[in-house]
Amino acid sequence: MSFLSLVVKNPFRNKTRSALAIVGIAIGIMVIVALGMVTGGLKNSTQSTLKAGAAEITVVQAGSNSFESGGTINESTAADILNLSGVKDTTGILRASNTSTSIATTSSNSSQGGFAGPGGGLSITGIDSSKLSLLGIDSLNGTVFTNSSTNQVIMGKTVAQDLNKTVGDTIDLYGQNFTIVGTFETGSFLTDAGIMMPLANLQNLTSNQNKVSDVLVKVTDNANVTTVSNEIDNAYPNQLTTTTAADQANRINQGLSFIDTASWAISLLAIFIGAVGVINTMIMSVYERTREIGVLKAVGWTDRRILGMILGESIVLTLIAFVVGTIIAVVGVELILTLSPSVGGIITPSFSYDIFLRAFLVAFLVGVFGGLYPAYRASRLSPTEALRYE
Amino acid sequence: MNNTENIIEIKGLKKSYDNGKIKALNGMDLEVKKGEFISIMGPSGSGKSSLLNMIGALDTANEGSIMVAGIDLMKTKKLNKFRSKEIGFVFQMHNLIPNLSVIENVQIPMFETNASSTEMRERALELLKAVDLEDKIDQKPTKLSGGERQRVAIARALVNHPSIILADEPTGSLDSKTGEVILNLLKDLHAKENVTLVMVTHEPYVGNMAERIVNVLDGKCQNIVSSLS
Repeated sequence: MSFLSLVVKNPFRNKTRSALAIVGIAIGIMVIVALGMVTGGLKNSTQSTLKAGAAEITVVQAGSNSFESGGTINESTAADILNLSGVKDTTGILRASNTSTSIATTSSNSSQGGFAGPGGGLSITGIDSSKLSLLGIDSLNGTVFTNSSTNQVIMGKTVAQDLNKTVGDTIDLYGQNFTIVGTFETGSFLTDAGIMMPLANLQNLTSNQNKVSDVLVKVTDNANVTTVSNEIDNAYPNQLTTTTAADQANRINQGLSFIDTASWAISLLAIFIGAVGVINTMIMSVYERTREIGVLKAVGWTDRRILGMILGESIVLTLIAFVVGTIIAVVGVELILTLSPSVGGIITPSFSYDIFLRAFLVAFLVGVFGGLYPAYRASRLSPTEALRYE
Repeated sequence: MNNTENIIEIKGLKKSYDNGKIKALNGMDLEVKKGEFISIMGPSGSGKSSLLNMIGALDTANEGSIMVAGIDLMKTKKLNKFRSKEIGFVFQMHNLIPNLSVIENVQIPMFETNASSTEMRERALELLKAVDLEDKIDQKPTKLSGGERQRVAIARALVNHPSIILADEPTGSLDSKTGEVILNLLKDLHAKENVTLVMVTHEPYVGNMAERIVNVLDGKCQNIVSSLS
């Protein structure tokens, strides 16, 4: 028999108590892993908005906000901005939302790519088919619409899943039937939740002739995004305002870091409760085994070995809790995302080893700190008093 | 150290508890030769168990001198090592670990030696054969009778080849017939392993099995008599 096998065996002397302690810690670990996977997935999606090829700068009407309706910028502005130094490519896009399949409202917003539109309707973007790469759409399943068509759209993966549509299906928008000629996936949950159609067609449907809501700007390889952004701001004072993709990503990341902080706070609370459970379990265990610890001292065990045994038992409990909590979190997150396609389409859970390493370290440290005091107490017991203990 | 040498030498040993109010040992003197079998007898509270705890280095004295197996217990800091190497304890309540098998219980003291897992198992098996329990090595102590548990405890006490066995009322929780079997086993192993046996008891028939009886009263040795047996 090895010392390690003794340490692994001992926690199961009182199975119910150990199981309860494991459950306590496992809940904390589950929270850490599940929230880590979800926020990690959202962060990865945010990073996708910064992908190569997509426009770095979005230009909107000064003073407008995401929920203001109407195409507010003259379409020719896109060509004007292209003349500024450091600008490689531009295009005007019109964003609209279709709250039902027959009623249309238009809106402009400063975000890059489509998203579930104001009022929760379908997000529709009008864009020149040759400029789709500026929205990060590099490849399509199917084909792209022709700019002159009046009944063709392409659809993001998330919205296609939500509506259970695929290439060749039709969709009713603004009271007309549109054929879905292609679907796309960019990795950005904002863009993938949108529908794209020819700019001219959307302008006609929403009575925004020659108007766009945003101008997407791609800078040249050697240009500085901030410099170009400032240049545009200076060229159109009080008329246009710019947002860089990095700014947007930072804003989203700020939101995510808030979620991160909140999830850490929840996790810490769960871990604290779990740790108290571990301390309680180990103190009870030492208390019940006082006489046995006296015997171990009598047969020559050192204080350090007794400390190691109790500490080891505590760590065994929390490492089992790590395994249990991690399995529940992974299975739970996958199950929720599978059963709820609308959430599943937005979030691709992250399986970064960081999350699991963090959970492992938390479990290990809870084991160490939870077991430290009981182990210290056990190691300091006087052998004669321990042997007299009834 | 040959068998004419003293393995235990105690002079003027004093131990008090509760800020000196309780004097457990009050100038104890005792000499025990290597390989001897002695009984320590006396009424409750006379200091028998305190004396045993001092010899086994479970407790330290306030005054006097105590040399056991050539080690000055008033000076050495490595009391764990001393207990592991030189002492084997047999308690009244066997004190086995309930979730470990018989053979695992016997191996417990060997963790502080450099023995490999194989060596540990072989030595434990050898002793379990000696106490006639080789057919119950994988059983849990809860499945054993009182006498069998005490035999496991004796095997555990001998596993590290100690020079002294300290037995504190080893038959106290057993019926007289089982008690006699255990005493005979202890006596046999003491002779076979050439180990010094110091046994605390308050039962005269048990005490009489020893070569010498040490009577303790008020923390002192009152008289030492040779046993009739």
